[in-house]
Amino acid sequence: MEVSFSKEIEALRLGEGDTFHGEGILAITKGLLQSGVAYVGGYQGAPVSHLLDVMVQAKPYMDELGVHVEACSNEASAAAMLGASIHYPLRGAVTWKSIVGTNVAADALSNLSSPGVRGGVLIVVGEDYGEGASVIQERTHAYALKSSMCLLDPRPDLGVMVNMVEHGFRLSETSNMPCIMELRIRTCHVRGSFECKDNLPPAVSTRALIEEPAGFDYMRLAHPPVTFRHEKLKGEERLPAARRYIAEHQLNELIPGKHEDLGIIVQGGLYNALIRSLQQLGLADAFGATDIPLLVLNVTYPLVPEEVADFCAGKRAVLVVEEGQPEYIEQEIATLLRRRDIQTALHGCDLLPPAGELGVEALAGGLAPFVERYLPGSAQQSSNESAHGWLAGNRERRAAVAAQSGTPLPNRPPSFCIGCPERPVFSALKLAQQDSGPVHIAADIGCHAFGTFEPFSMGHSILGYGMSLASRAGVSPMMQRRVLSIMGDGGFWHNGLLTGVQSALFNGDDAVLMIFKNGYTSATGTQDIISTPDDEVKAHAVDKQQSLVDKNQTIESTLKGLGVQWLRTVHTYDVSKMRSTLNDAFTSSFNGLKVIIAEGECQLERQRRIKPWIASLLKKGERVVRVKYGVDEDVCNGDHACIRLSGCPTLTIKDNPDPLKVDPVAVVIDGCVGCGLCGANAHAATLCPSFYRAEVVQNPKWHERLLHSLRGAVVRVLQPA
Amino acid sequence: MTIMNRTQPITLLICALGGEGGGVLTEWLVDVARHAGYAAQSTSIPGVAQRTGATTYYVEVFPVPLAELGGRKPVFSLSPVPGALDAIVSSELLETTRQIGNGMSSRERTLVISSSSRTLTTAERMELGDGRADAQRLVDVIKAFSREHHVFDMGTAARESGTIVSAVMLGAVAGSGLFPFPREAYEQVVRGGGDKISKMAEASLRGFAKAFDAVNAPRQQAAMVTGLLATSQDEAPATAALPQAVASLFPPAVHDLLALGHARVLDYQDADYARLYVERLQKVLAAERSADPAAAQGFAITREMARWLALWMAFDDIVRVAELKSRASRARRVRDEVKAGDHDIVKVYDHFKPGAPEFAALLPDSLANRVTAWDRRRATPWALPLKVGSHSVFGMASLRLLASMRWLRRRGQRFAQEQALIERWLDAVARGTQAHWRLGHEIALCGRLIKGYGTTNERGKHNLLHVIDHLAIAPLPDGAPSARADAIAAARTAALADEAGTALDAALVRHGAPPRPVKAVPVRWVRQPRGLATAAQAKSKAH
Repeated sequence: MEVSFSKEIEALRLGEGDTFHGEGILAITKGLLQSGVAYVGGYQGAPVSHLLDVMVQAKPYMDELGVHVEACSNEASAAAMLGASIHYPLRGAVTWKSIVGTNVAADALSNLSSPGVRGGVLIVVGEDYGEGASVIQERTHAYALKSSMCLLDPRPDLGVMVNMVEHGFRLSETSNMPCIMELRIRTCHVRGSFECKDNLPPAVSTRALIEEPAGFDYMRLAHPPVTFRHEKLKGEERLPAARRYIAEHQLNELIPGKHEDLGIIVQGGLYNALIRSLQQLGLADAFGATDIPLLVLNVTYPLVPEEVADFCAGKRAVLVVEEGQPEYIEQEIATLLRRRDIQTALHGCDLLPPAGELGVEALAGGLAPFVERYLPGSAQQSSNESAHGWLAGNRERRAAVAAQSGTPLPNRPPSFCIGCPERPVFSALKLAQQDSGPVHIAADIGCHAFGTFEPFSMGHSILGYGMSLASRAGVSPMMQRRVLSIMGDGGFWHNGLLTGVQSALFNGDDAVLMIFKNGYTSATGTQDIISTPDDEVKAHAVDKQQSLVDKNQTIESTLKGLGVQWLRTVHTYDVSKMRSTLNDAFTSSFNGLKVIIAEGECQLERQRRIKPWIASLLKKGERVVRVKYGVDEDVCNGDHACIRLSGCPTLTIKDNPDPLKVDPVAVVIDGCVGCGLCGANAHAATLCPSFYRAEVVQNPKWHERLLHSLRGAVVRVLQPA
Repeated sequence: MTIMNRTQPITLLICALGGEGGGVLTEWLVDVARHAGYAAQSTSIPGVAQRTGATTYYVEVFPVPLAELGGRKPVFSLSPVPGALDAIVSSELLETTRQIGNGMSSRERTLVISSSSRTLTTAERMELGDGRADAQRLVDVIKAFSREHHVFDMGTAARESGTIVSAVMLGAVAGSGLFPFPREAYEQVVRGGGDKISKMAEASLRGFAKAFDAVNAPRQQAAMVTGLLATSQDEAPATAALPQAVASLFPPAVHDLLALGHARVLDYQDADYARLYVERLQKVLAAERSADPAAAQGFAITREMARWLALWMAFDDIVRVAELKSRASRARRVRDEVKAGDHDIVKVYDHFKPGAPEFAALLPDSLANRVTAWDRRRATPWALPLKVGSHSVFGMASLRLLASMRWLRRRGQRFAQEQALIERWLDAVARGTQAHWRLGHEIALCGRLIKGYGTTNERGKHNLLHVIDHLAIAPLPDGAPSARADAIAAARTAALADEAGTALDAALVRHGAPPRPVKAVPVRWVRQPRGLATAAQAKSKAH
């Protein structure tokens, strides 16, 4: 990838006495090094991508420390990597986006948790939940429960988070359980600071190798008969050991308050939101001093029964603040209280919304009735009323704005970047369906999923990353017309090659697969993959503007090797060619798997490469050609068919300069990278003839100037005013 | 800024689009606070919003210097609290309103600084007609739901300074005095470490300064707002020279559009054609005078017809396009549009794809019919994709040659056809007007359906004629003129709703008219995939 993390890498080198300033996820990264981690792996995905990106770019420093960093092909391979800690005293950390990544990793996680670990294991997951999330809304908590892994949910204060990283490893080592640390989106991106410690080079590392492999020990295998023993160990030894450690080191924080007969038990990650909503109710100050005692669970599994019981005992009521469903923690606490016959009233989902992010407003909405019921005292009344006023005010204001703005505001979902190589394919697909009729489209995860938004609105299902081809296996045999599966190269390597291609070939399925070969896993932050063009190729390219993905043929050779017989590679900006290739695939008499490789390098990466290159050429006064497309405002018919076929952010509309006409005309605004789609569409779809391609030659050569001036003279004679 | 509450953090919500540098902006703000010795925190939810979507950033600063807090650390919220924001700064007008709609801004507390510039959403851009949200309405919402507001064009400020909008937003925040930091503190952070200032930093500082002044100096800001309001108004149409002889035939109320229309038709063909335009418009005027002798409606029908008649009579064809594209004024326009330097060479390639119909249009009936017949026999219609370099001698020569075929146009098949259709529409307007002023007016407004070129133009004409035949003339369940007027109005809006005309057909049926006839489309044979033979097929095979 072309993005540079040099600044962040510097921050990783900080030591005792320094203060780290930056994002949460980078603080965690630093925490790993301070804990003497020996190996790090994972699969990129918001909001934790930076952890791996930074470590991969920091390779020289990692080598200095003896830390091994692996960019894994998917979460399963990352989880399997943790197997190193089963036998050896190695601290290992992996990271991915949850819930989806944890789903992919589940098999390895079960087989890791069963024998248990010797070296500490920390799984840093980005809990992609609530506002800004891009995946199905489920909790990672379930995995911790079913596989007996500790679950850390630190309060979003950089110091606490880093501290919990170090504790996480020790907790894992004392309990032999892997630890998951769940970080919500905003926690990963929170900007704060913490006091650093020196990084700890691991005792066993790439610089201090293991001399001999461990001796044979059946207990370390996830294989019967020992798996039955493992299950008992979880309950008899590991969980108790974990609870002891949590209690001894007070990982969960007890915050006193004057209303001792009440209490709130909160997931660490929600602490800040809770404090702010208590403030709104006048029950806390800006520094977190609260009137109602809190039990902040920086570890949400396992709970420490004594801790919870002691907190609840003697209280009139306790509120459990827990995000997402089902309410595992509340249920466990309920069981715990019942078993110990503690009569404290328990509240949670009865007052708080059972689903969705617990923001300050949602939390306050649940706290208010709790306070009303248990603190009817005059002291609270006023502040509670003001809180009610605030909540009601929000509701009224929303209604009022909706009323005033009349029609609901148009949404603004993310979409293809300016000049994205994937947009033209959807233009072609729209046209091809006009020829061959509409087809069932199995969509996938990746930038190409933006094709599900306007103006294309294409795609019938999304079953997971790289799953599109597999997800049509039941549809295509039942469908008169052929089914199209769309997959990115990221998804292809993550999963699609085996679950999709291999299966389709083995079963001799009649399927059409479109692979977007843009050279990177772009949606996760343009990380490199095995089919990314090599750095040498980029360095030696004479024209750095051109797409370079064709220089890496790994996907093609892999498919051929597997026995794919119908394989076409099309440059994505050639809309007509893509259209006819799609029609061929839909109507061909070949009944096997038909693969179209849509080739075009990610425009984000290209621009990051091109901009500095152009700048350097101009600086040296060398010849540069800049391409921009445009629309003749007096020819444009104001029908915007071109926009319905593109959706490029730079192809927009403006007031019609012709006072006779009323509808706005199309216009290409600054930022156009001259990708060529406008021209290709104008031809492929026979749009109105208003599009032009302008080539601006800066620092032209002398003979160019001469030719141009002669030409210009003649042209001006021909031209009317 | 109102008297600062020293027991609560100062809260700021930032709205930006992907790639506008919102991340840099928050980093700047947090650094400014840190250097000034204040506790601060920022959060964001970038995700895939970086891909041109809308996203927000949230910043909290505690108003009391850390030194005075006696070691206590404020607990900041990670997400904005609706109704508890001190300020919202936004780079896009619609997104500002969206956040206000989410309940974020409160009249009592919130300062709203928004750009007046719009980045249109796809939904707004893809409409057949005009799908843009009403900017004035958006500004009104800001005014109504903020303690104080500043609205100015951040996009232009950024462009003029050669920087991106994040620097402008920083200037706006600084200028508003939201935070207890001096201007220098902000500029220092933008300037960055190191003794020499980078070109980028300089540009950022220029953008910063523009916005700082815009928000800081109320007078300037007021000027900018009024500037915005002015631009949101449509500029008055430029009045072209109108021959006295023609002017005298029409009431002054019509003159501005008449002048434009007359000039357009004259420029398109010749004096005779312009005369025909005037004659046609007189018919309409006569009809309107009889329907509305007191001119209570201000000759609205004649005005609209002056517009739509001219546009239809000057229908787009390859001759017209060649004429427009070969003008010197056009070459100049392209040069500024692509922002070419004085010494840069600009090469312009025009994308044409004329099909058989475009050429047939210029041929007499007999020939034209043969060409179109030949074209229909083909599997896919014939078309000639061209990339003409209008900067080159050959390119310009061929454009001029085509443009000179104006005389051929008159003799061509399409010209005759268009005139016939125009007459039908004109007739419907005249009759409609005599029956009921509103009916005539609605039919006149249907001229909007006739647009441009090729298939778009065909679609428009079919829709218009169908509407006229079945809603204006043919018997309806409720044949009252006013009912017909309503029906036509509904159909016209529906016709602009979707390309396929689904909405139009629905509207037609709703008013008791038949939907448009289904157009024949070439069917491409798709072989059945390896589906098993149906029972019937199996049987037939057996025998």
